[in-house]
Amino acid sequence: MLLWPHNGCKKVSRIDRVAGEQRRSPSAILDREAVALPLGNESMPRLLLIEDDEETAEEIRAEFSERGFNVDWAVNGIEGLDKARSGKAEVIVVDRLLPGMDGLTIIEALRHEGMRTPVLVLSALGAVDDRVRGLHAGGDDYLTKPFAAVELVARVEALLRRPAESHDTALRVGPLELDLIERTAKRGDRTIDLLPREFRLLEYMMRCKDQTLTRAMLLEEVWNYKFVPQTNLVDVHMGRLRRKVDEPNEPPMIHNVRGLGFILREPA
Amino acid sequence: MSLPDFLRTTTFRWALAVASAFVLCTLLLFGFVYWQTAAYMTSTFDDLITAELSIIAAEAPQQQLQHIENRLRNDPRRIRIAALFDANGHRIVGNIESLPPGLAPGAPINVVVVRVDNGSPETEEVRLATDKLPSGQVLAIGRNVDDIAEIAAIVRRSLTLGLLPAFALAIVIGLVLSSRVQNRVAEVNRRIQRIVAGDLRQRLPIRGGDDPFDQFAVSVNQMLDEIETLIHEISGISDNIAHDLRTPLTRVRVRLERGREHAKTLEELRAATDQSIAGLDQSLAIITALLRIAEIEHSRRLDGFSEVQLTPLLREVGDFYDPIAEDKGVTLSVETPGDVRVHGDRDLLFEAVANLVDNAVKFTAAGGRVVLALAPRGDESVIRVSDTGPGIQEIERKAVTKRFYRSDKSRHTEGLGLGLSLVIAIVNLHGFRFTIADGPGCTIEIACPLAR
Repeated sequence: MLLWPHNGCKKVSRIDRVAGEQRRSPSAILDREAVALPLGNESMPRLLLIEDDEETAEEIRAEFSERGFNVDWAVNGIEGLDKARSGKAEVIVVDRLLPGMDGLTIIEALRHEGMRTPVLVLSALGAVDDRVRGLHAGGDDYLTKPFAAVELVARVEALLRRPAESHDTALRVGPLELDLIERTAKRGDRTIDLLPREFRLLEYMMRCKDQTLTRAMLLEEVWNYKFVPQTNLVDVHMGRLRRKVDEPNEPPMIHNVRGLGFILREPA
Repeated sequence: MSLPDFLRTTTFRWALAVASAFVLCTLLLFGFVYWQTAAYMTSTFDDLITAELSIIAAEAPQQQLQHIENRLRNDPRRIRIAALFDANGHRIVGNIESLPPGLAPGAPINVVVVRVDNGSPETEEVRLATDKLPSGQVLAIGRNVDDIAEIAAIVRRSLTLGLLPAFALAIVIGLVLSSRVQNRVAEVNRRIQRIVAGDLRQRLPIRGGDDPFDQFAVSVNQMLDEIETLIHEISGISDNIAHDLRTPLTRVRVRLERGREHAKTLEELRAATDQSIAGLDQSLAIITALLRIAEIEHSRRLDGFSEVQLTPLLREVGDFYDPIAEDKGVTLSVETPGDVRVHGDRDLLFEAVANLVDNAVKFTAAGGRVVLALAPRGDESVIRVSDTGPGIQEIERKAVTKRFYRSDKSRHTEGLGLGLSLVIAIVNLHGFRFTIADGPGCTIEIACPLAR
């Protein structure tokens, strides 16, 4: 099932990711300022949080409020569905197990009524099957508890910025240009020689420019990798790509968001 | 146990049922023997009577009288009946008073006649046949049937003499046999109760014979052995889990405590917090990995299986790990012949192979080599990951497949010690075979039957 076109930042074909991304992000919480969130300049995005655990809900609400979100909180499934139906929310974060009404039932009801508001499912159940069910019910992303707050924010951002379907044959970010037909890359006049895997990675990053992409998101989206490898694979791949994209005399475009992931931006 | 109680026991009821069945069979058998004997004797009598009747009937009148008289004279046991009557039914010669009324000429039948050869007349049941002679006279030939009644009496007597003791014997044997079975069942039950109560070392008794009971006990004992081993393994695993979780958690606790007490600047506090979060994440990763293994091991969902092309899968894994190997100075090569298809779950197989390559690259020193190969062997295909690392000692080979096992050599290397367990869980789910082969370095093989 592919709810969103393949050129979207988030596609739904991935099945599983074992929580573990947080392992590499101990300092992420303290590096909030490093996570650039240009959304802050725009009108406040409205987020509906359906979560029965008050403490968790409070943490999530605080995190998103600090990042300029307008958070509406529903404490149970029935209230959540009512609020979701009003259509005010731009993105919904829903807990998998809720009193009153199951998280998946809410998503199914919304999708049945034709509402396409992006939904992220939170769950303490990490089983592969459960993830598949969550995505099949119409969820757009799935995050296993416990998670790092920044991971949740990055994923919600990604859902909000999902680009419209495009039939472009080329992608452009600042001086960087990717020809999707010829499979070639250029930075200004300089041709960048990319391996197929590096091309895939760069393509995804350009589609999701200015967004923090966590390692887990990259593994899921670029490699369709459904588990967290023990070795720090993403960093190695990213290191190689970065050496090709950003030469020493050029202003860098690929930035490391310490402890969290990576971001591609136009050179300052 | 009082008598009425005893009568209600299963043992007694079984014995009674068996004995009753035995008695019924005996009765039927005796009845059959009597019936067969009587029928045989009757038919023999009838043959003789019919033969004699036709012989005498064919003789001249004078000879007939002679013959009948001779016949009656030579009969010390007084079993023969013979007589000749005139057309009016008056006796001419013979030892019966008159012809029984309604007796038609033909085959012999049982009738009651009055004998007149012993002074006073006496009635007697006989087998009798008559024939009407051309002269109008009626010839009657017959035989006394006391012999048959005698046989019936003998059968009855033997039944009364033999059946009661046999019935009693059957009950006794039935009691003995069924109480033996009952005792064994009771013994088995007692042992099982003890096992249920937690004594896992209990085993069912075996008598050393080859009866079904022993075979049953042997099977159950094997099952108990297996369960005992598993439970020990599980408790071992729990110890390992407890250890592997406690270690990082204790570290976290200590760090937090120290940070709280001693941190002088915000930076120092942050550093302590960062380290603590890393420790918590490691614990979470262990739990996640364990849950994942359990999930795969308990998965009965094979319907998600489809045809998987191994060659592109191996190339992808190679492509994924190539930069890591290169950074480490290890040559990673993928050797695949033509395409091979197996039946399985692509994502899980990818994860298994990736784990093996991950391990191989991790344990191979710079300048070494890791080969990921696909080779046909008979009607199966073998995925082989070999490296020039330190290898796995023969004695360690079984142990490395256990959860949390980390060889002493690998203690300093990062990892959870769960990788191979995960690979094995995936291999088992597919019905493939996992082997650690001999050779320099480490060679791990997954043998997969080809998809049909």
